[in-house]
Amino acid sequence: MSIAVSRPLFRHPHRQGGAHRPTYLNSSMARPFYLNYTQSPRPIFNDACSLSSRHFKPAKALSLRASSIDTAVVETSESSDVVFSETFQLKRSEKVDGKITIRLESGNNDDNWQLTVGCCLPGKWILHWGVNYLGDVGSEWDQPPPDMRPPGSITIKDYAIETPLEKSLASSEGESIYEVKIDFNTNSAIAAINFVLKDEETGSWYQHRGRDFKVLLIDCLQDEGNIVGAKKGLGIWPGPLGQISNILLKSEAANSKEDIGERSSQKRGLQGFYEEQAVVKETLVDNSVSVSVRHCLETAKNLLNIETDLPGDVIVHWGICKDEGKTWEIPSEPYPPETSMFKDKALRTRLQRKNGGHGSSGSFILDEGSVAFVFVLKLNENTWLNCHGNDFYIPLSNISVPAIQSGQTHSEDEGQNNESSSLLISGNASEENQEVSAYTDEIIDEIRNLVTDISSEKSRKTKNTKARESILQEIEKLAAEAYSIFRSSIPTFIETDLIKEVALEPPVKITSGTGSGFEILCQGFNWESHKSGKWYIDLREKASKLASLGFTVIWLPPPTDSVSPEGYMPTDLYNLNSRYGNIDELKILVKELHKVGIRILGDVVLNHRCAQYKNQNGIWNIFGGRLNWDDRAVVADDPHFQGRGNKSSGDNFHAAPNIDHSQEFVRKDIKEWLHWLREEIGYDGWRLDFVRGFWGGYVKDYLEATEPYFAVGEYWDSLSYTYGEMDHNQDAHRQRIIDWINATNGTAGAFDVTTKGILHSALGRCEYWRLSDGKGKPPGVVGWWPSRAVTFIENHDTGSTQGHWRFPGGKEIQGYAYILTHPGTPSVFYDHIFSEYQSEISTLLSIRTRNKINCRSTVKIVKAERDVYAAMIDEKVAMKIGPGHYEPSNGSRNWSLAAEGRDYKVWETS
Amino acid sequence: MIWHAKSSSGVTLKAFNVRAEAALISEKASKITTTRPIDGVKLYVGLPLDTVSDSGTINNARAIAVGLKALKLLGVDGVELPVWWGIVEKQAMGKYDWTCYLALAEMVRKMGLKLHISLCFHASNEPKIRLPEWVSHIGESRPDIYFADRSGQPYKDCLSLAVDDLPVLDGKTPIEAYTGFCESFKSSFSAFMGSTITGISIGLGPDGELRYPSQRQTTKDSNQLGAGEFQCYDKNMLSNLKQHAEALGNPLWGLGGPHDTPGYDQSPVSNGFFVDGGSWENPYGDFFLSWYSSQLVSHGDRILSRAAETFKDVSVSLSGKVPLTYSWYRTRSHPSELTAGVYNTVNRDGYEAIAETFSRNSCNIILPGMDLSDDHQPNESRSSPELLLAQITASCRKHGVEVSGQNSLVSGGPKAIEQIKKNLSDENAVELFTYQRMGAYFFSPDHFPSFTQFVRNLKQLNLHSDDLPLKDDETADSLPDMNLHKQVA
Repeated sequence: MSIAVSRPLFRHPHRQGGAHRPTYLNSSMARPFYLNYTQSPRPIFNDACSLSSRHFKPAKALSLRASSIDTAVVETSESSDVVFSETFQLKRSEKVDGKITIRLESGNNDDNWQLTVGCCLPGKWILHWGVNYLGDVGSEWDQPPPDMRPPGSITIKDYAIETPLEKSLASSEGESIYEVKIDFNTNSAIAAINFVLKDEETGSWYQHRGRDFKVLLIDCLQDEGNIVGAKKGLGIWPGPLGQISNILLKSEAANSKEDIGERSSQKRGLQGFYEEQAVVKETLVDNSVSVSVRHCLETAKNLLNIETDLPGDVIVHWGICKDEGKTWEIPSEPYPPETSMFKDKALRTRLQRKNGGHGSSGSFILDEGSVAFVFVLKLNENTWLNCHGNDFYIPLSNISVPAIQSGQTHSEDEGQNNESSSLLISGNASEENQEVSAYTDEIIDEIRNLVTDISSEKSRKTKNTKARESILQEIEKLAAEAYSIFRSSIPTFIETDLIKEVALEPPVKITSGTGSGFEILCQGFNWESHKSGKWYIDLREKASKLASLGFTVIWLPPPTDSVSPEGYMPTDLYNLNSRYGNIDELKILVKELHKVGIRILGDVVLNHRCAQYKNQNGIWNIFGGRLNWDDRAVVADDPHFQGRGNKSSGDNFHAAPNIDHSQEFVRKDIKEWLHWLREEIGYDGWRLDFVRGFWGGYVKDYLEATEPYFAVGEYWDSLSYTYGEMDHNQDAHRQRIIDWINATNGTAGAFDVTTKGILHSALGRCEYWRLSDGKGKPPGVVGWWPSRAVTFIENHDTGSTQGHWRFPGGKEIQGYAYILTHPGTPSVFYDHIFSEYQSEISTLLSIRTRNKINCRSTVKIVKAERDVYAAMIDEKVAMKIGPGHYEPSNGSRNWSLAAEGRDYKVWETS
Repeated sequence: MIWHAKSSSGVTLKAFNVRAEAALISEKASKITTTRPIDGVKLYVGLPLDTVSDSGTINNARAIAVGLKALKLLGVDGVELPVWWGIVEKQAMGKYDWTCYLALAEMVRKMGLKLHISLCFHASNEPKIRLPEWVSHIGESRPDIYFADRSGQPYKDCLSLAVDDLPVLDGKTPIEAYTGFCESFKSSFSAFMGSTITGISIGLGPDGELRYPSQRQTTKDSNQLGAGEFQCYDKNMLSNLKQHAEALGNPLWGLGGPHDTPGYDQSPVSNGFFVDGGSWENPYGDFFLSWYSSQLVSHGDRILSRAAETFKDVSVSLSGKVPLTYSWYRTRSHPSELTAGVYNTVNRDGYEAIAETFSRNSCNIILPGMDLSDDHQPNESRSSPELLLAQITASCRKHGVEVSGQNSLVSGGPKAIEQIKKNLSDENAVELFTYQRMGAYFFSPDHFPSFTQFVRNLKQLNLHSDDLPLKDDETADSLPDMNLHKQVA
């Protein structure tokens, strides 16, 4: 055990004699939030109060040495009276090393497996866990099936379970082990188990490299860097996994001890493993400091004694009060040995180590003129101990008695002064770490304003503008949320508005939501593209081909340095050397693409960012690189990351710290970064990752600041199903996407997930009737706000090697026949372009271009029956998909067949 | 120090912040909210009419939770929750289901807001909320439990006041049913009474208001200029009228309602009754109108006295809603008010009797229409919401009845808010204002900002700009929040 960080935590003082004498200590303002600091998981208060001890570097022993003990100065006198004696309990937290063990093993038969999570540290351990099901998209947790939940489990919201760890008898080295066993069947549709550990005693959360522990149960590679346990091959790390571990080693070499042993027999790709993770637990340690005061009648001096059992060097940072205001003053000499002056404001005296080596003590001689002795204790550069957030206040001599007895009211009156003297201390501390304390002061100010309901003019005036702003923002966000819910219950409300708006828009006008309106998108990568290590170079050769096919915009993979090789777990945003190539190769590619007339979308991940450093709790929430944000940039409502920002304005992505876009400095930095990407690299626009995670209003802010040529957001959530059947009416789903677009003020389009989902059912199950909504319009986003819908049938997540939500096999061209003839801005997936489908896609693309079909084209649905869907677009193009029959009637117009294939036909007027 | 005594502004701002943060930090909330130095108008916001659905679930619970929090942060005092007879006592008489409403009260309590309950003994068209099924069932065989107009058309959204004391509901009288409902409410919500629940309003007729359903939505044409029809043609009303006429020795006057009244969509000046010197001014007219209006006042008294009895031992304020029938107010006969049951003309103050009844039962009066201004009324309707409002509040003041305000239009826009502010800033202004009503429009970007502004202005209504303290400090503070500057200026 070693002391690393100590926090000022106190109990009420235990009296030893002199109890009849009330003191300031008891009557000083109660600060209950100090007491419960580590107890609750994340109240804002606690976070704020702990600031003074945040960002602490690991403890370093003071290099000072105890000098020889010299007690000569201390005069004892027979005639002295003990006028004060009290022992204050001190609570500090200490760090204890331990380990978390994770064992996956097969049970009594091959299909039954067991996951055991254990911890060797004492505590009230809770496993907070959830699962991913097969085919789940994203990394949101789900609740496990009931039969998987061990006894004693309780459900947390609708996505997690909490199961207490039991003390296990099977301890190997005599130490107690707490563990929990989760039994599951490999035949169940569970893809992964995710968990974090919580210690109820301290309220701390324990994670794996700053993210959830993840145990994969299937062979699906989704390496976000937080997977524990090997998946394939005995003792040999396959390529990608090896790379991960290298990356991780870089960032966290010392802290993780991987021990891959006990591999049991392989079954369905699942294999057992045993792993240990080092953890550090903070425990509270009780110490005390005793203060006694003797009054010496002969010398008319007070002799004050401080004794403590605190280990190591203890420095008393002290002063005296000469009147009842609690202003610190420097007493006259003599001072005890090893005393130094601190900035004319206080004295610092190092206590003498006791002979036994345990604890230390010191004596102070004080003139009778002083009212009180005030002090705080300093253990090391960063660790201070005070009394309930106030200075220790020791009343001296008889003069002070009346004042003390009026303690209650007096102390309240003196609240301001009292606090300003504690501020003095933090001011001093800021010498060591200026930045931190400056912020600390601010927070302390804020808390004080809140807690003490101040009525003084001064505090009212300085009413913290930040607090007010954040409340207004909070109200705004809440109102926006309430609005979107209320409104979605009446979807027709917006529909009419939008139709009007679309009709009013001039046909060709470049806006970031639509580009020119005639854009055709190419998703220029898949889930494997990072593997070559030279994707930018590979893609360069395809530039002219893409242009000749008719693409006007290409979406490139996320360019930043990332924990996962695909780029979606960004770390240093300004480091553009990624698995796809380095920054120079990227610049050359962009130049080439521009040369052939293709504009470039950068895939920017704004929702979350992987931290590079841990905070003092061992939580990964301190960022590195040029944007070296700290936990203020992290949203506060994901307990895993202990963010100190505001609550998230959207959904949480649980695998990494979610960025708090409500912070001005975050937005300023992001805007700067986007500007830099535009200027340095030449990006024309953005594909915005996981925009469900934050409010669309912030996206609007970013887009207005960076004026992209085109922007599209990934707002991906689940469609509605009843009894496993997809509902015909997906209005609520598309409304949510529309609401997001609306929140961006139409400055961005959004991927039309609704259309993809409906195409799945329509094409996959021969239910083509689904392709018309109740009002004879396309049932996806494209039916309500076509100009902002980016239609697609597959992307790197849904298809490719991930296959989270794959388009029905063999029906892809029908899907393209739909989206490439319909309004909206279609996006074609790289895998489909460079496949046997190329010629068919090429034909469809040329039909679109030739007939000037654009994002605002009009569509008239002619047929939406069980086995056939037919529509006419801009009265220039007719199409049908499905095995059923349809021919456009040759009335006034002369239709000629332009494309034909399996279950689809497209005609144009000639 | 002068500013402190004089102005509530600084204190208000502070309270706003403190209370707002308190809501964020829930465990501290209770302590801090108790220090609320704001006096003046209390502001409530109505929850959606269909907060609890016909099928007994909470609609948009998430949105309501979020909405409550937003209101709390804004500094709104409480919310108003309509509680429907047709939902709580839907299945059978005496079988009450308060589950959802209890859950809502708990939500409100947790948020640290106050709650005003509106007990609704009527049905609603939009959203569709019916009377209890068993009541409708009785009504199918006995349509005379409803009001009827001259052509015999029943009004099925509330019961006729003529059956108040008749055992038409499976042996019980409607008054007994209402009272039973109130008693069940009281015992089910006893934990909230006086703490979270600060007020209860008792439904008195159509839309909860003390009136006859004289206006029927015959067409969707909102320009309907008619004054409405008398609703005295159900069996019991007619027999009541007959008895009354006979008792006064004029049996011929009791054979039916007036014969020369205009129809719903006819102008009131098109037929004899309401024109200057028309029937309303002769002895028959006075006989009829006195009877018709006294029936309504007695009905109000019956319900309110029973409610007052029921709730006498809990510390909540009781109130009832009085209609603001403002069209044709500028004519001599006030035809719209007459058909609605208020005998208020150029010669007679019809609101005295009503205010007196409320006063006798220690009930407050809720007045809608505080958002309506004369400027926006169609000229030809000769209407004046402002004058009528002034008349009713004067009567209330005379009888010591407290007035609570409401707005009538849900989507009134900024002008409506201006009008509300004007009404509230009057001296002797209302105690409480309930802003109607939470929903999609309420939170929309078109509306919510102006509401926010309204709330902040409301909290400083009584101040003139020269009373505002430390003006330059506020500006020097370089607050990004421009609202604050506006309200200072």
